[in-house]
Amino acid sequence: METMQRYVSPVNPAVFPHLATVLLIIGTFFTAWFFIFVVSRNKQSKESTLIKELLISLCASIFLGFGILFLLLTVGIYV
Amino acid sequence: MNWNCLYLAIISCLLLLNSVKAEIINKNVERYLDLSSQLVKTTIKINAEDSAGVPIKEYVFTAKEANIAYISAKDALNNDLKLRKEQSNDDQRFVLTFEKALPKQTIQIETVSVGNVKPYPEEIKQNEKQLVKYAGLLYLYSKYKTVTQKTQIKLSSSNIISYTQVKPFSVSSNKIILGPYENIKALSDEQLAIHYENQTPFLTVNSLERTIEVSHWGNIAVKESIEMIHSGAKLKGSFSRYDFQKDGRQSGQSAVKSYRTYLPASATGVYYRDMNGNISTSNMNVQRDFIDLELRPRFPLFGGWKTQYILGYNVPSYEYLFSAGKNYQLKMRLIDHVHDNMAIDKAVINVILPEGSSNIELMTPYSIKRRQNEFIYTYLDTTGRPMISFSRSNLVENHISDFTLKYTFSRVSLLQEPFLLIGFIYFIFILTIIFLRLDFSIVSYHHNKSE
Amino acid sequence: MNRGPKILSNKVAGYSSLITFAILLIAWIAGFSSRLFAVIRFESIIHEFDPWFNYRATAYMVQHGWYKFLNWFDERAWYPLGRIVGGTVYPGLMITSGGIHYLLHFLNIPVHIRDICVFLAPVFSGLTAISTYLLTKELWSPGAGLFAASFIAIVPGYISRSVAGSYDNEGIAIFALQFTYFLWVRSVKTGSVFWSAGAAISYFYMVSAWGGYVFIINLIPLHVFVLLIMGRYSPRLLTSYSTFYILGLLFSMQIPFVGFQPIRTSEHMAALGVFVLLMAVATLRHLQTVLSRHEFRKLFVVGGLVAAAFVFVAVVALTMMGVIAPWSGRFYSLWDTGYAKIHIPIIASVSEHQPTTWFSFFFDLHILVCAFPVGVWYCIKQINDERVFVVLYAISAVYFAGVMVRLMLTLTPVVCMLAGVAFSGLLDVFLQEDTSKKFGNSAYSVTETDENEDPTEKKTLYDKAGKLKHRTKHENNHENGISSNLKSVVILAILMILMMFAVHCTWVTSNAYSSPSIVLAFHNSQDGSRNILDDFREAYYWLSQNTADDARIMSWWDYGYQIAGMANRTTLVDNNTWNNSHIALVGKAMSSSEEKSYEIMTSLDVDYVLVIFGGVIGYSGDDINKFLWMVRIAEGEHPKDIKESDFFTDRGEFRVDAEGSPSLLNCLMYKLSYYRFGELKLDYRGPSGYDRTRNAVIGNKDFDLTYLEEAYTTEHWLVRIYRVKKPYEFNRPALKANERLIPPSNFISRKNSKRRKGYIRNRPSVIKGKRTLK
Repeated sequence: METMQRYVSPVNPAVFPHLATVLLIIGTFFTAWFFIFVVSRNKQSKESTLIKELLISLCASIFLGFGILFLLLTVGIYV
Repeated sequence: MNWNCLYLAIISCLLLLNSVKAEIINKNVERYLDLSSQLVKTTIKINAEDSAGVPIKEYVFTAKEANIAYISAKDALNNDLKLRKEQSNDDQRFVLTFEKALPKQTIQIETVSVGNVKPYPEEIKQNEKQLVKYAGLLYLYSKYKTVTQKTQIKLSSSNIISYTQVKPFSVSSNKIILGPYENIKALSDEQLAIHYENQTPFLTVNSLERTIEVSHWGNIAVKESIEMIHSGAKLKGSFSRYDFQKDGRQSGQSAVKSYRTYLPASATGVYYRDMNGNISTSNMNVQRDFIDLELRPRFPLFGGWKTQYILGYNVPSYEYLFSAGKNYQLKMRLIDHVHDNMAIDKAVINVILPEGSSNIELMTPYSIKRRQNEFIYTYLDTTGRPMISFSRSNLVENHISDFTLKYTFSRVSLLQEPFLLIGFIYFIFILTIIFLRLDFSIVSYHHNKSE
Repeated sequence: MNRGPKILSNKVAGYSSLITFAILLIAWIAGFSSRLFAVIRFESIIHEFDPWFNYRATAYMVQHGWYKFLNWFDERAWYPLGRIVGGTVYPGLMITSGGIHYLLHFLNIPVHIRDICVFLAPVFSGLTAISTYLLTKELWSPGAGLFAASFIAIVPGYISRSVAGSYDNEGIAIFALQFTYFLWVRSVKTGSVFWSAGAAISYFYMVSAWGGYVFIINLIPLHVFVLLIMGRYSPRLLTSYSTFYILGLLFSMQIPFVGFQPIRTSEHMAALGVFVLLMAVATLRHLQTVLSRHEFRKLFVVGGLVAAAFVFVAVVALTMMGVIAPWSGRFYSLWDTGYAKIHIPIIASVSEHQPTTWFSFFFDLHILVCAFPVGVWYCIKQINDERVFVVLYAISAVYFAGVMVRLMLTLTPVVCMLAGVAFSGLLDVFLQEDTSKKFGNSAYSVTETDENEDPTEKKTLYDKAGKLKHRTKHENNHENGISSNLKSVVILAILMILMMFAVHCTWVTSNAYSSPSIVLAFHNSQDGSRNILDDFREAYYWLSQNTADDARIMSWWDYGYQIAGMANRTTLVDNNTWNNSHIALVGKAMSSSEEKSYEIMTSLDVDYVLVIFGGVIGYSGDDINKFLWMVRIAEGEHPKDIKESDFFTDRGEFRVDAEGSPSLLNCLMYKLSYYRFGELKLDYRGPSGYDRTRNAVIGNKDFDLTYLEEAYTTEHWLVRIYRVKKPYEFNRPALKANERLIPPSNFISRKNSKRRKGYIRNRPSVIKGKRTLK
């Protein structure tokens, strides 16, 4: 017991709302980019864009994923 | 050699004789009975002595009182004594073991019992006062002889209807002093009855379910769902709001309009609701080292009326959670304060640990009944969160103390939830990509047209 | 990312669909959040009356499963009759939220069913916005569609029925309605079986959700009928209508509550008639290809008339024979606004069944009510198959909205659509030329004027789609003379109007439509603080905690659902109002004297009586103010015992003070409302027993209750609950000697073994068979 330290969250709970906002905005931006990219894709050269689409969507999902996590933490759903 | 043997035999004979003759007597007994609430709180100071001067190692305390919720014993230096419970016939025997065997021992025993102050009459009208009757023992019930003893009784009001009068006794406002009585035989059980006015809230918590949910994102959520009944004198006849409003002192004195619950000072996000939603009548006062929550049930609780509600709050994890590497230790109150002089019939405590916790080990300050461990599935769970569940009945305020729960948890599992989210979103994106490609091949005429 | 002109046009498509998507998303979010006033001001709670039943039924379904729900016999309602819930509800709402609940719990998201119910309507408002967009896009242009979607997201006329917590059928039905119409218009346009089958499935959802499906099943046939009259018959119409009708008919009969109604009631006959007519027309068309033109003319006129007459006669004959049920009373009240008041007081007693005032049109629709005729005009000017539909929709909805406040709801979507068309048309004219310089968004409008049906064409709020441009070309030529100054002024004015509309919507939503009505809030005039009046829940919670589980509570029907939902106790009557005579019995009990109503109450096994009394705080919706309706409904069933005129003073006034009629001052409702109120002084200076709601000192102050006792009264006296005493608990009025079961002890029987039968002194002895001699 004596050797143990008080446990604090890896991320300060005070910054949860800010993190959520920033991450979600970045995620939305990537989503929008993905959206435009996919819709305006030149339909002949589908193979060459696949990698790019996957990369953009990966970025978007990472940001959105963390954004949603912090959003949940902000609103009081402690996962 | 022979002489030696004889000598030993004589000594042992003497010792034997001595130990037969030697008996413990209660030199002086002082009892303090606190009957000012719904509980009977007894403090007994016993100066025990062995008549033959043999060191006392064990002392047997017999409790004739029913429903003893809590008992503790201390010696002269205020150290806790070991208690061993023995059930015999209808009374409970507690064997006290001293650390040091001395011929003179000072013992201080504290007991709290529930349900021995009974409303009498059992039903009253709205504007009547609540009278209660206490039935106990005039003398300390002990298997030992008592030389002199005295009992001080504290009541809730000076309005005493009747009480057992054995001389000498004295009464001053809300205090009764019985005794000192001398030379009381062992196992004497003369009755003591006191009939007096007691308007303090008679609230019994029928069931308490306390759920503690630990999150490693820095939060511990506590939720208590409580069923409560006014266990005092039942309301007879009709309830009149007019009388209740016109003169709150005269009418409905024994009704519980509000009561106080103390929460930890760091509690945030307190909610107080029932199945129909938020109960809008409560006040929160933040004090220095606790939060004083004044809870008003939706309706004033008259005798026999019930209510149930849910009280919840969050506390930061650093208050109660300790870590060293992969090992974690949760140290929290097993039960918490519900109202002053509370009596809880049955409490169930559930502790929900983060997903992936293992090697769970529970240590409690008093004996509890373990229940089946379960897995709880809530937000973003895959394998489920382990829930440790245990219960105990008949609890009072003295039971508010910490339990310790040890477990191991790897920090990496903390990232499981965000990766789950990321994976899910990415899956949707990939579905979109695939779908758009399929879409292209089906409705190709659009494409042709735009060319 | 510049890859030549082709890429550019693709990019334009990308941006425009992104903007469309963003606008719809924003509309959804705006619609969702403007419905959250109630949750933010109060809490996440079910509102009003009917939602409580829906919530209770949903919770039951979630707990016990779908089949148990279908077979649910609710013995806690309509005591002692009970209610077969599974067969008397539109289950769409429960299935929707139950399905969402199931899905979320499958994903380990433990959302309480109450929260799903609370937020269902706001979520569905977003779907409504999207389906309105789709429908308007089909009818006019994507730009108009975006306008319409934005309007419907925030228009008060729809918000009034879909705020968070207002868990009612309408919340999801408007989505189903719009989506069915969209699919229908699509199918008429394309003539594809796919779309019309889709319309039938959507119609099925609508049938399962709301009784208002009758509107669809009459409007679509009307559309077909008018198209036929206009000579716009086409094989597409035949395909879509016959598919839709047959599938829709079969689907709708799957709902237990609807059952065989679609083939047996008059409300559904129009659809059948039009179906037959369409078949006849199609046959004629086919014959046309076979026969010569002259022959065909003859056949067409004669055949058409004969077919119409035949259908009409068949329907009338079947109605007479009783195979087809005649119009229901509720339906009559749509045609004759006075009908309900005379024949069905229970319908007339509901405020939402009153005719709509002009004020509420403006209140609910604001500027849209002005723009809407313009949209109709645009549609009529450039008529085509689907615009016929929207015009018919508009006309019928306007009529119904005028008849009943409640049907304002069906008007709102079409008003939004046509106002969208109007604004779109207006901006079309005024944003014609140098749009690209004024608005950055429209920089690409040059590139996509020809993409008529392309779903990816550019749509912004201020931009018109290419399709429209073709049609409005002649107008454009007229307007070319407008100076750019005038243009900007007009555009600014339009923007101002739209902004005011948004402000108005928010204001109306927050002030008028966001009260849960079971929690009341008022502002303290002294210190301006906001106080919450939670008496309803206080009383219901008291009932739930401190009465026996099977206690039967008598109250006026308004509170039936709430008692069942919040207190979980048996009620005698509730908001279902299916049994008028039972309600009349309760009305009779409330309006009789205490003694008489005690007989009724014991015969109905009543344990508690609950009344709402607003006299202390000035709450106007209390039972004394509703009392005349109770009397009227009771009089309808028991005209001998209850007379409305008894409750008025000689001068025909309804008053509770000393001049009130004696039967009012002594009836049960009066006594229960004012019991011990006569002693209460609300004010130091004022008299005791002053009723704030009716601004009068009550007439009968000093009375006691014999057969009931006060069980609970809430803090502000809003809800008063009385316990009905058991016969042994009160001092019974003296029984007449001959009615006593136990004779008084001093009575000495004169009977002996000889005179066992008893005798009458001086009784004339009758000799049978002979006349008594005088």
